[in-house]
Amino acid sequence: MIRLASLFWLALVLVSGFAMFKVKYGVQELEDELGRMRKQTIAEQQEIRVLNAEWSYLTQPQRLAELNRRFLSLAPIPVKQLQRGVDDIPLRPPPTPALPPMEGATAPSGPEPAILAAAPAAPLPAPDTIAAAPQPPSAPVTTVALRTAAPVQLAKASPSRAPRTLDDLFAEIGGDR
Amino acid sequence: MATPLLADDNPCRPRHFRPPPPCAPVVADAKASELIETCRTRLVAAAALFAVVFLVVALRLVEIVAFAGASAESHAGRIRPPAPSLARADIVDRNGTLLATTLDTPSLYADPRQILDPAEATRALTAVLPGLDPKDVYAKLTSGKSFVWLKRRLTPRQTYEVNKLGIPGFQFEHEERRVYPFGDVAAHVVGYCGIDNKGLAGIERALDGTVKARREPVALSLDSRVQFVVREELAKVVQDFSAKGAAGIVMDVRTGEVIAMVSLPDFDPNHPGADDPGAADTKDRTFNKITLGDYEMGSAFKIFNTAMALDSGTATMAKNYDAIHDLQIGRFTITDYHGKHRMLSVPEVFMYSSNLGSARMAMEAGAERQRSFLARLGLLKPVPIEFDEVSKPHYPSPWREVNVITIAYGHGIAVSPLHVATAVSAIVNGGTLRRPTMLKLPPGTVPHGERVISEKTSEQMRKLMRLVVEFGTAKLAAAPGYVVGGKTGTAEKNSGGHYQEKKLVSDFVGVFPMQDPRYVVLTMVDEPHGTKESHGYATAGWTVAPATSRIVQRIAPLLGVMPVDETSPDIVKALTVDSLQGKRIESY
Repeated sequence: MIRLASLFWLALVLVSGFAMFKVKYGVQELEDELGRMRKQTIAEQQEIRVLNAEWSYLTQPQRLAELNRRFLSLAPIPVKQLQRGVDDIPLRPPPTPALPPMEGATAPSGPEPAILAAAPAAPLPAPDTIAAAPQPPSAPVTTVALRTAAPVQLAKASPSRAPRTLDDLFAEIGGDR
Repeated sequence: MATPLLADDNPCRPRHFRPPPPCAPVVADAKASELIETCRTRLVAAAALFAVVFLVVALRLVEIVAFAGASAESHAGRIRPPAPSLARADIVDRNGTLLATTLDTPSLYADPRQILDPAEATRALTAVLPGLDPKDVYAKLTSGKSFVWLKRRLTPRQTYEVNKLGIPGFQFEHEERRVYPFGDVAAHVVGYCGIDNKGLAGIERALDGTVKARREPVALSLDSRVQFVVREELAKVVQDFSAKGAAGIVMDVRTGEVIAMVSLPDFDPNHPGADDPGAADTKDRTFNKITLGDYEMGSAFKIFNTAMALDSGTATMAKNYDAIHDLQIGRFTITDYHGKHRMLSVPEVFMYSSNLGSARMAMEAGAERQRSFLARLGLLKPVPIEFDEVSKPHYPSPWREVNVITIAYGHGIAVSPLHVATAVSAIVNGGTLRRPTMLKLPPGTVPHGERVISEKTSEQMRKLMRLVVEFGTAKLAAAPGYVVGGKTGTAEKNSGGHYQEKKLVSDFVGVFPMQDPRYVVLTMVDEPHGTKESHGYATAGWTVAPATSRIVQRIAPLLGVMPVDETSPDIVKALTVDSLQGKRIESY
């Protein structure tokens, strides 16, 4: 009788001891993981801070204005483009029913030859850029020549001004100490 | 059979030998058996107690091991996500654009004794940090010391590269540094910090405690886009008129929030001490003209003079003033810059900027009324804004008659441009003076203000200010669709007690849209020189008025102000001066 009870208690002690150590190690593991997570979170928050700073640095208005000048040529919105609502936008004038459709189709092409004839005269002042470009029909040449010429000029004018990464800012602030 | 020997009887008995128990149970005496019984009871009680305790422990273990899910969840709430310990919170503009932040900037040092191959380490390090001199690095790494600095303040990218080398002996010392990604755009507003992370100027200084205590960013009322536009246009004015400097402020007239604040020349807060290769020295560039400068604002003060006369009832819109005869006060003679030499009504006095008419208007109201009116507008004490760098206005004491006359057209009293912008906001917004602020207010809140003039006077002033742009001295400030109004001012600089004719301060206080004012745009330029395009003029109408027109056209879409048809009946009605109806308005 006594032996049986002792065996029971011994078993209970062993089981509970085992269970306790298991839990202890489990907790330790979780603590370690939590610590790692915290460290990682802080590191990532730090990285986010750096990226935010870089974003802000690279989207500063001067730089955007410079990039706009080089690539987009966007301008401030003129007043006439700003409308309060749909009602303010004038409707297309109703088509004049008097004209038959055939005449309507040919009418716009009327002034076109004149424009085409005038177009080749425009690029003449810059013959070297035209020579460099391939020779598509006359009208697109003007746009090709302008597109290639403009960035080259600006790149020469301001090679060092436009910052590219946050490193430039650090290089700027690193000097004084 | 021999009598059994008692245990102690036999001297030869080995010690471990116990005699067998006697055949009959030993009957103890009653006292002993009672004692044994008590002991047994106590043992059982103790065992039961231990059993219960162990059972509880065991059950709890089973619960935790077998049913961990539920109880672990309850602990999860107690674990807070970590927050980095920051020396200073970020500063952002009203749209959340980052203006100042704190970054971890590691500095690289080495323990040369731990470096196994100095030559190889030098080669690897100079490959990732091209700015370093290989000879210098090699000398340091072979010096045998236990600590040498290699490079201060690495960028995050460089830190990563050096770490990737995996050379033992290279270590980082971490320190936090304040970084201003926008550089000089909002330099005077944001200010800067010293090397010990103590705010030394601007908001960094004014809200040093707040910035240090909190984690969330501090949101300014500033709009960095508007700030940029104002700065760019003012820089253009400075360049075009080869001026010494310029300043500009944009303020929301309804809330007192400062949307832009520019003072040129300015500086880069990332290295505020560094000298400009150009002319201006550090002291000149860190000086915030808007809050710290005291200027005689010239005719712009006629806004306050006219409002005073109209509000106190000493003048009405239809009343005429003598602009024929010059005023002689002691050794001073007051004349008009562009004299009309006739009787002028109040709107005409205002729009042609007549000194004589304004002076007579002020004399009629009297010194006490003038002084108390200016005091009510807050022009005689420092502006209550967050900055530490605010000026104390200069005004005459005692307030004599000659002062009354000169103050009528903005001489003899020097205030900061911020004073003027704040007071003009009150004049045009219906008459409520609000405390200007650099901090963003929650959208929709209208801070408490103090009534300084009546609604009616405010409406009259709006009409008068519109006249100046329509017909008067500031026609170049017009921005089609945005109904700009305002008042020009040009003052000669006072140095050593006398005015210098060639050194001007030209300013323009613009308001738009005039039928329902939203923003004040005050611009001023310091010592402009006339150009061929301005026909030699350096007055406000030719320098800052056109700049205001450009600024308004660029910032109005950003601020959500929709253009209107200026000829529409509503607007014409809202801005027509009745007393001028039917009269021919001669151009200025």
